[in-house]
Amino acid sequence: MSIETANAEPSTAAVAKGRTRNVLIVGVGGQGVIMISKVLALLCQTQGLQVKQSEVHGMAKRGGVVFSHVRYGEEVWSPTIPMGEADVLIAMEWAEGVRWLPFLRPDTGVFIADTQQVIPPFACRNRDFYANPAYATETPAEIIDMVSDGFALDAGRMAEELGNARAANTILLGTMSAAMDFPLEEWLSVLNQFVPKGTEEINRQAFLLGREWVEKTRLEPKEATTVRALEQQPVQPKINVRLEITREWCKSCDICVKLCPERCLDLDEQQIVRLKDPAACTGCRICEWLCPDFAIAVHHENSTATEVSA
Amino acid sequence: MTATLQNLHGNHACAMGAIAAGCRFFAGYPITPSSEIAERMSRELPLVGGTFVQMEDEIASIAAVLGASSGGIKSMTATSGPGFSLKQENIGLAAAAEIPCVIANVMRGGPSTGTPTRPAQGDIMQARWGSHGDRPVIALTPASVKEVYDQTIRAFNLSERYRTPVILLFDQVISHLLEPIQLADMASLELVDRQWATGSSAEFAPYASTESGVPPMPRPGDGYRTHTTGLTHGEDGFPSQEPTIVTQATQRLLDKIENHRDDIEAYECHDTDDAEVLVVAYGISARAARAAVREARAMGIAAGLFRPITVWPFPEDALKAAAANAKAILVPEMNAGQLRLEIERLCGSDVKVEGLNRIDGQPIDPAQVTQQIRELADK
Amino acid sequence: MNEMKTKAGGGNFEVRDYLRLDLMPHFMCPGCGHGIALRALLWAVHELGIDKDNLAIVSGIGCSGRVGAYIDANTYHVTHGRPLAFATGLKLARPDLKVIVITGDGDCLAIGGNHLIHACRRNLDITCLMLNNEVYGMTGGQVSPTTAENRLTTTTPSGNSEPAFDACKLAEAAGAGLVGREVTMQTPALRNLIKAGLEFDGFSFLEVMSDCTEIYGRKNDLGESAEMIMAQKSDMRPQAYTTITDQPFRPNRLVTGVLAQSDRPEYGATYRRQAAALRGETA
Repeated sequence: MSIETANAEPSTAAVAKGRTRNVLIVGVGGQGVIMISKVLALLCQTQGLQVKQSEVHGMAKRGGVVFSHVRYGEEVWSPTIPMGEADVLIAMEWAEGVRWLPFLRPDTGVFIADTQQVIPPFACRNRDFYANPAYATETPAEIIDMVSDGFALDAGRMAEELGNARAANTILLGTMSAAMDFPLEEWLSVLNQFVPKGTEEINRQAFLLGREWVEKTRLEPKEATTVRALEQQPVQPKINVRLEITREWCKSCDICVKLCPERCLDLDEQQIVRLKDPAACTGCRICEWLCPDFAIAVHHENSTATEVSA
Repeated sequence: MTATLQNLHGNHACAMGAIAAGCRFFAGYPITPSSEIAERMSRELPLVGGTFVQMEDEIASIAAVLGASSGGIKSMTATSGPGFSLKQENIGLAAAAEIPCVIANVMRGGPSTGTPTRPAQGDIMQARWGSHGDRPVIALTPASVKEVYDQTIRAFNLSERYRTPVILLFDQVISHLLEPIQLADMASLELVDRQWATGSSAEFAPYASTESGVPPMPRPGDGYRTHTTGLTHGEDGFPSQEPTIVTQATQRLLDKIENHRDDIEAYECHDTDDAEVLVVAYGISARAARAAVREARAMGIAAGLFRPITVWPFPEDALKAAAANAKAILVPEMNAGQLRLEIERLCGSDVKVEGLNRIDGQPIDPAQVTQQIRELADK
Repeated sequence: MNEMKTKAGGGNFEVRDYLRLDLMPHFMCPGCGHGIALRALLWAVHELGIDKDNLAIVSGIGCSGRVGAYIDANTYHVTHGRPLAFATGLKLARPDLKVIVITGDGDCLAIGGNHLIHACRRNLDITCLMLNNEVYGMTGGQVSPTTAENRLTTTTPSGNSEPAFDACKLAEAAGAGLVGREVTMQTPALRNLIKAGLEFDGFSFLEVMSDCTEIYGRKNDLGESAEMIMAQKSDMRPQAYTTITDQPFRPNRLVTGVLAQSDRPEYGATYRRQAAALRGETA
């Protein structure tokens, strides 16, 4: 879906004239990526600018990837932002921010990211017990060092402290506003039209909180990453799975063979269960649970070893 | 509790006897003419820390009794003919799994619903053979309110000592008869508690053959964690179909009663030493027979009365001794001739055995018995 | 075995700590869901730290009746249909024991149906685990009160024309304190349900959908055990989702989880309180 404003009046606002500004908003389903981009687009329209907003959200139910390109200026032709040309990259989910970094202008781009982690199911595709999810391992400090102007904040917790966890996206909107030149009262006026009735005040506060946080952080850069260290998934020790099969108890019912998710069991020539493919076994215990004859015991060795953090 | 004199109905005497014997659980279902036992127990048990429960049916009552007794509490139920029929399967379980319990059966007229408010003695054979298979049984037939009280206590003692169900058979007349009785002096009352398993649980065999034939019972919570089943089981308590084990298990059940007849059998003999006409009667009929024998003696007839108190196992040797000089045996009973079959089996080859049977819901009249004694003496 | 494991509920759950190993392998047919249910029960017992010495298992007759014998506890295998009545006596006489009844659809709903409704009504602290395999398996596969309509059994040669019981609705209507249902395929969920039942102070009725592959499954061409328990899983619907209106895609055919719960007073405690008052004791 795109919003186009073809015949906007020339702006009186002191926005960057002559060059189209690019804002890339990324996150996962349910966070408010689209809401933020619509507020921005509406604001630009009220400022008499042309806006093109282009988004992808179809694949995303709650938790899936969502991104939105917003381009505005006196005259905007293309709806999408090329690599390396985003003036502002705002990420509502940490790994999404990291993933879209190549789109940020290397010299002047502003990077704002929520440190919230939403680990997608496909990051857990390794079904080994205690396997680490395939998730971004970069720390906020590392990323902020890489970009020209970077901010990482825990908007979720800030919103909770403010009294409404759902206002996290408005806080991020506030931080984003600090990277643009539109006047504050214009932001607030557009925001007011967008939020649900009855939540105007809390959203106003959230917006201001985000905006002030950026301004403060610009003066005190260290603050940027101390809001919350990125949650590191503890690195789990590798466990050894041992299947203990009591041959005398097996009655060849085949439940384990058919219902093993890894298909690593079969019946031997005597129709007794055996572990055909030990490497594939993840120790998930389904065979143990579903064996009516208690013929399989799954042992996790080293499973009580102390957790090691990276 | 000190000894006290009270006027009690037979049913109340049964309840008070149970309480005195240490019964602390009663499960029952209302049925005429036994309901007063349950009613009295519902009042008495809470006072002594016991539990009364009225179950949903006769079968549930006996099953609950077996459950409570398995938990280690002396337990009983009470019923009448139709309910007694319903309980038979679980009486078999009690016998097979050796769970002590007492079942009071206040007999009424049958078959089926029969004559609920009229007396009868029709459950003699049901008490013996009502449950399927070969199983031991102890059945007692008190003849007065006082004896209901005493035999209820004795029923508990026998049941605990031999780990077997004990059946109290009396009838509607005694159950609703009011007589003065002396309650037991608790201090001098001899009470038997079943032998509990003690010692190591490792090698414990819950149905081991002991010298007495009665294995000590494991109490749940004491760490034995045994299996109790109605399936024929070996000494370890687990089911078996091994012919030698099945034989041993069933034989031990029968032997533990058979080998203790001396302790279990109880009877009374009146004028039997020289009796030429021996009357064998039990329960309420024995009271008519007693009067008749006395009258016959007054007439110069050598009559005697043999009254089994333990009707099962039947006091065979005692009967044979009492019948040593008898030319005829008369068995008055309020059925079509159930115990007569047993007497015929024991003495029928030597002596003529006659019945005096009423199946009309009326107690036997002493005059009827006297009349028949005279006829037998004249032959 | 390890004392800590068996008594305190500590340590990993090892099913062997709760089995009478001398009797294994058990006598159930290959693929019989009763074994899975037994594991879930023992798992729940372990997690709650129930002492085996104080655990009493009462079961009736039939395949379900034989399950209890494999548990290393005080086990009672009583007459057909009567385990609930036996357990009522046991629990009233010995409130200190944890009493669990393992019964089947025939044992509990047909011959023992009267005891079930009254146990529900009385609300004594007993957990009743009804293993529902929809058939009389032990006797060769006769129709049971929960056999689905049109199914073939040895006594319904043209298909069952009697409607089946919804045992959970029956138990709820009769007043059971806690009513629940689960399928064996959801073993951890089944364990959780049994834990809820065991922790509940009152009568809990838990229906476990089991599978009889050898007799019922074969007669009705329902596939092997894996297929049968998968079919139950696809029929099931957690209670929490039953109000979601995604019909007709997910009919609420086999609702699972805790289906009903009430806070009626537990009968044994009520009786003992009244009795204490009669004796002039203050509770």
